[in-house]
Amino acid sequence: MKTFEEKWTAWVDGQLSGRELAEFEASLPDKAAAEAERASAQKLGKLLKRELGARTLTNEEFFSHQLRERIAQEGGEISRAPGDRRIERSTWWTIPRLLWTGTVSLAVFLACTILVMREKNPTEESQYLTQILNARVDPVVSPNATVSIFEVKQDRVTVLWTEGLQSLPADYAAK
Amino acid sequence: MGRARAFLVVAIAFAITGATSLYGAENVWSGLVIAENVAKPQPIPPELTRIEGSLKKFFGYNQFQVIGQSQKALKTGQEDWLATSKFFGLHVDAQGETEAGYVLNLKLYKEKELLLETEAKLSKRSPLVIKGPQVGGGQLLLVLVVQ
Repeated sequence: MKTFEEKWTAWVDGQLSGRELAEFEASLPDKAAAEAERASAQKLGKLLKRELGARTLTNEEFFSHQLRERIAQEGGEISRAPGDRRIERSTWWTIPRLLWTGTVSLAVFLACTILVMREKNPTEESQYLTQILNARVDPVVSPNATVSIFEVKQDRVTVLWTEGLQSLPADYAAK
Repeated sequence: MGRARAFLVVAIAFAITGATSLYGAENVWSGLVIAENVAKPQPIPPELTRIEGSLKKFFGYNQFQVIGQSQKALKTGQEDWLATSKFFGLHVDAQGETEAGYVLNLKLYKEKELLLETEAKLSKRSPLVIKGPQVGGGQLLLVLVVQ
């Protein structure tokens, strides 16, 4: 069973017919005023359809619109969420990218450090070998003794080599 | 919060103590060694293992025996010590520490007779070997190693 409002809307839209139409029009208290109201509503409807209806886009406008949509998606523009909340798209400096950048920077730094240290080591090596500053043999006990200095690079051993020291019997090897 | 702070303080204290003791505790091993050529050589003493190749190659002997030794922990770099055998004595007098090592004055005595005196800057990474007098069929060597 339709209410009066439903029947009124259908009558204004011209959707009532036959017996239903006759009954509804008979139930109207002031048919002339109702007719005027219906004409006014139809007029308003036509006006709204004409003014607010979807405008057909030209090709140029269509492509331009599509391009703008795509740029907005790819360029991290602000988009609207269902609840009309704004969501900021990620920037270039995301956490994984920051981590990668950090790792790569560290690797480059280490590589440079190793290179520099490798170049530096050979010159510094001599500084870390034991150095003989001076050596003296008692000229009274061993008048013909001489001293020389050698460096064995293999084990980084420095040798003070004496020649002509007085030889001693095997007993002197005792502990 | 209080516990974490206390733990942090203790950890830092341990780290500083550890670093200081590591830095300060340098041991210098000094030995009187008789090098000989024998049919059945004894194994080389552990203190000389590191330079075994150089000793054999350079001096041409196959056995190295320690007849006197001393191990000294250097803290100030101003210590002195003596390594002795029955007839020889090696007096080592440390005269300061540099970044590279220790400045040492070394004197080799045969009983009370001074045979050799030398001054060396002993590196922490580089042992010092001094060829002493011939003793019987062998050779007396003086070896100093920072351990």
